[in-house]
Amino acid sequence: MNHHLLIPLGLVLVTGVLVPWLLARARWPQQVPRLALGVWAACGAGFAAGAALLPAQLVLTGAASHRLSDMMFTFRPPTLDQLLHLDGRERFAFSLSLLVLSVPTAAFVRRLARARRMRTRHAGVLRLVGRYDATLRATVLDDERPAVYCLPGRSRRVVVSSGAVDTLTPAQLGAALAHERAHISGRHHLLVAAAEAFAAVFPHLPLARHGGSAVPLLLEMTADDRALRRCTRDALATALYALASGRAPRSAFGAGGPSAALRMRRILTPHSAGHPVLYGLLTIAAGGLSMAPLVIACCSFPQ
Amino acid sequence: MHVRRLGELEAEIMDRLWAWQRPATVREIVDDINRGRRVAYTTVMTVADILHRKGWLRREKSGRAWLYEPVRSREEYTAGLMRDALGDSQDRPAALLRFVEVISDEDMAALDAALRAARGDQDEQTFGAGRGRGPHVPDPDAPAGGPA
Repeated sequence: MNHHLLIPLGLVLVTGVLVPWLLARARWPQQVPRLALGVWAACGAGFAAGAALLPAQLVLTGAASHRLSDMMFTFRPPTLDQLLHLDGRERFAFSLSLLVLSVPTAAFVRRLARARRMRTRHAGVLRLVGRYDATLRATVLDDERPAVYCLPGRSRRVVVSSGAVDTLTPAQLGAALAHERAHISGRHHLLVAAAEAFAAVFPHLPLARHGGSAVPLLLEMTADDRALRRCTRDALATALYALASGRAPRSAFGAGGPSAALRMRRILTPHSAGHPVLYGLLTIAAGGLSMAPLVIACCSFPQ
Repeated sequence: MHVRRLGELEAEIMDRLWAWQRPATVREIVDDINRGRRVAYTTVMTVADILHRKGWLRREKSGRAWLYEPVRSREEYTAGLMRDALGDSQDRPAALLRFVEVISDEDMAALDAALRAARGDQDEQTFGAGRGRGPHVPDPDAPAGGPA
């Protein structure tokens, strides 16, 4: 155990607690959802890296942990040759890191596999029950309840119910379809699965707790933005309203799913005050700056 | 290519059996498909057998031929898909991405208000010039209606 512990510890605290706390309270993420998603993803990666290095630094001797810190500062990952010539303690530290990394990775992969199995089953039934509409470029399902959704990944397709086709005008339907295509082409299901996996593995961590609800909503907003390149704000907002009102509302749902009302307000009032990108960069800078004292402390320790 | 053909044929067979609403032999199905395009009897027989093994069709012997019948109606399968689509089944990974998630009563009211406000602004002014204006609220000093 030594002072090199400070860096991964700081990284874990900044990406796991501080930045998520800032993000959850800020208003700018909803105005620039893609930047916010980037920050969330960076936090996830940073937290995983910090959490993996923490036990390694705990067991390493002073000199070895100093070398590891140097590698971190210079962003120089160890070469394969170095990895093959680790001594016993270093090998132990390395396997501890891999062990820590494997927990969220396994949860992520399991979730993806489960989702894919369900999609394959769904697509198999859809293939026989639905009919493909070449003008809509979507599969139509005969049901009077309005619904629009997509199957991402390998069995990718956009599905609309006949109820949605009847309820929506062509412009509104086009808006909803463009939104779903944005989900598919952006591979949004991967980020959703990652957020879900983090939330399942670290249920009390602010990063996972806030991120688990923020990331799906930000992805919806990203898809809304993408759809708005091809349709009017009115068409998208009305489609959202029509599809939401066509189903039984549920008061027991709580704050789990992406909020349609937030999206609606955002679609209808596009120009908001302030400089969201600036605030976003400030948040990133705040995270980076709060690491600075730790880095300085670590470096100024007598060897 | 061959696999896709078989998939299409599966749909064609199911379509007919659902439409006829009675058990049918492979011969009847082949004859009906042959009105549109040529398809071999053995191919249809193979695909009907696949559908039987997948649990889509049940069959019973009638003389020397099998009589095939859908296990469940098209509506039942559709209802199952719609359960996934509407998110009625909780606690599963995000396999589908929906345009609108399950929505609460409060959310619905907020949605209603937002759309109403936007529509109000739009009726009054040209679209896009309505910034800074609040929702269209009726004048509180105006008489509440009825004969004055």
